[in-house]
Amino acid sequence: MDRYLRADWFGPLVITVVAIIAIAAFNPSFLSPLNIQVLLLAIVINGLIAFSQMIIIAIGQMNLSVGAIGGLAAICFAGLMEVWGIPAPIAALIAAGIGLLGGLLNGFFIAWTGISAFVITLASLSIFKGLNLAITRAQPFYGVPESVKAFGNTTFFGPLPWLLIPGAIVFLATWYLLNRLPLGRRILAVGGNAHAAGLSGVSVPRTIMAAHAISGLLAALAGIALVARLQIGQPTIGDDWLILSFAAPVVGGAVLSGGHVSVAATILGVAIVAIITQALVLFHIDPFLVQVVLGGLILWAVGVNRWREVHMSKSLGRSST
Amino acid sequence: MSGSLNEVVFEARDVGKTFPGVKALEDVSIRLTKGSIHALLGENGAGKSTLIKIITGVYRPDGGELFLDGQPVHFSGARDAMAAGIGFVPQERNLIPRFSVGENIKLEVSGGNPFRPVNYTAMNVEAKRWLDLLGLDIDPATPVSQLSVAKMQLVEIAKALSQRSKVLLLDEPTASLSPHEADVLFGLLRKLAADGVSILFVSHKLEEVEAICDSVTVLRDGHNACESRPMAGLGRQDLVRLMIGRSEQIPNWAAREFSKAAPVLELKGVATALGHRNIDLSVRKGEIVGLYGLVGAGRTELAKSIMGAFPIVAGEMRLDGKPVTVTSVADAIHNHRLGYVSEDRKQEGLILIHSVIENAGITIWRRVAAALGLLTDGRVRAKTVPFINKLEVKTPSLNQIVGNLSGGNQQKISVAKWLAAGARLLIVDEPTVGIDIKTKAYLHQLLRDLSESGTPILLITSDMPEMITLADRIVVMNDYRITGELTNTRDYSAMSEGIMQLIHAAEAA
Repeated sequence: MDRYLRADWFGPLVITVVAIIAIAAFNPSFLSPLNIQVLLLAIVINGLIAFSQMIIIAIGQMNLSVGAIGGLAAICFAGLMEVWGIPAPIAALIAAGIGLLGGLLNGFFIAWTGISAFVITLASLSIFKGLNLAITRAQPFYGVPESVKAFGNTTFFGPLPWLLIPGAIVFLATWYLLNRLPLGRRILAVGGNAHAAGLSGVSVPRTIMAAHAISGLLAALAGIALVARLQIGQPTIGDDWLILSFAAPVVGGAVLSGGHVSVAATILGVAIVAIITQALVLFHIDPFLVQVVLGGLILWAVGVNRWREVHMSKSLGRSST
Repeated sequence: MSGSLNEVVFEARDVGKTFPGVKALEDVSIRLTKGSIHALLGENGAGKSTLIKIITGVYRPDGGELFLDGQPVHFSGARDAMAAGIGFVPQERNLIPRFSVGENIKLEVSGGNPFRPVNYTAMNVEAKRWLDLLGLDIDPATPVSQLSVAKMQLVEIAKALSQRSKVLLLDEPTASLSPHEADVLFGLLRKLAADGVSILFVSHKLEEVEAICDSVTVLRDGHNACESRPMAGLGRQDLVRLMIGRSEQIPNWAAREFSKAAPVLELKGVATALGHRNIDLSVRKGEIVGLYGLVGAGRTELAKSIMGAFPIVAGEMRLDGKPVTVTSVADAIHNHRLGYVSEDRKQEGLILIHSVIENAGITIWRRVAAALGLLTDGRVRAKTVPFINKLEVKTPSLNQIVGNLSGGNQQKISVAKWLAAGARLLIVDEPTVGIDIKTKAYLHQLLRDLSESGTPILLITSDMPEMITLADRIVVMNDYRITGELTNTRDYSAMSEGIMQLIHAAEAA
């Protein structure tokens, strides 16, 4: 039992289950197929956004440009299809490549200048957003092919959105990366103790660049998925990602100083945010309150993490010598 | 195995390294032969760590050459040196806390392809082999954060061994080991040496060096005091003379009598949130009480608890006879006038990017602030300059950035700020780490003078000669408990033996 209490996913799982049961009890339409579809779509897209930040949290940094990269990739995806009529899969690949490159540039400047990720990504946030507005002139691309729109809005087996499939693949791949692949372990090692990792032969600069490249890629995937979902290439895509991108990993027990994140718990964190948002809609509560609730949730999660840390170090204590 | 045992495996020839304002190393050489355990000795600040960093590829030397197996080598980083077969067990903790023991040991050894899945089973089997070799009964799947400091140290050694290094550097490997664990380690080092590994052993404990090393290089003020010389025929006093350039001299300060002096600080049956139990301790007016113990004994933690950084959960703390509860560090400084010179002056003692005057004045801002909390430079200067002058801080100006001063001057400033604050008790934690011998003697004189003028001092140091020089009374700690106390007779060998006995008595029990 103690083992489960210690696991990062346990708390968020309990909250998720309790929230679903409680909300469904008050309002059975919560479990309607349409609502489940909306929830799953939100979880897939927000999950990609959260993972994009989670990778950077794992290495002990932060990426303020997650939304700007995602937005730039989104409008490139839509623009390539509308303006040059490039087929959707190729446009998606190019857009993903742009995200990867954007992240790689972030990582490059952080690794080789030694300037904090906060400052570098703050600057690149402005650059990527500026490029976005220069390309779009702040006007959306409407020419998204029907196939893409369908992919973002149709379902299989009842309420399951098609977007769930690529989403699930990415989530599993991220888990595999962080838990099984040397690259992911290096990211966590650098986040846990960069000095020790370096002395163990891990190339810290290269690992930082790889983490940022992956973060950029994930942000781009979120942007592409959102174009499919919204059916247009909105220049404003990404503007409101920042809080969410931190909220879910933190609810999932991520240590902001690096070295520890949980993929499963982060997904549950995304689910909790999605459920709360959905519940506010169902109960006709002012949607503008979502931000307030999100902020409160972050504070609460940080508090719980802190408590768990203190509690754990006490129970382990120095007795286990 | 080819080659004789006298074959030189690694050589540094006439290496030099200059940092802005400091010549850390000049024309230093060292030769490590196959199968030898070579001691690297030197006082703090003599250049040992710089030389280690050059050998392990962290620094590049400004001059001179490195040779591995007779071939000139240039390391572009720690990775490079490691790949060339130079293993390093650093002094500071160097493990990834959330990772398992096995993964820490095998981290990056597999190297290469970042996308080939990690085989945890094989990793743990392999790690277990090295743990067994060290006689360590640890499950490789245990997270490192759950181990004791001593076990972590041994895991680091297992890690360096697993890299099958030709040259193995150990920086103070026994600092946190019990005598038994140290013996196991020494047996292992001898075995490794017999297998042809050449070992560079850095230690402050001359007993250990005499016990296991067969050759020695001593550094003094960035130069070779002796280079790759056989240990045979060298006694403890010879080593000391090489290290400090003269015989071990303990200032002949008169013993002082304090039984009638009023206690300033008293702890009675104190327990802290960090795990101290039944701590009884008193420091009388004008007295220097030394707190001795191995790394991890809980001395710094006790000091920080006295300063209010961590709560005291049981027992009583009295200041000048009155029971007090210190609620925070700010409370300790402003309301109880306690001063704490941190062991880690770079991290905790000073704000390196601020000026001398800002650092020296930080403790008195609250007191000297005029109406509305307005702080004028003049007021701060008036209160701090006398002390900065008294300590003879060598700084071009009060606006000099502290980070640009030498270690000794930095330390003087961290003492000066507490003098300015008018501390009624000063807790001094490792005051002379990284400070040259001359300044060290000067700081010792300063602390003695301070105590003569009535300020009691609680001194924490791992430097035995320093402890015996300064302390009037030595309290020994082990594992967050006080294991005994001795009145300092200033007889080095009797005192150090007595202290070691008190440390190990608790372990035997």
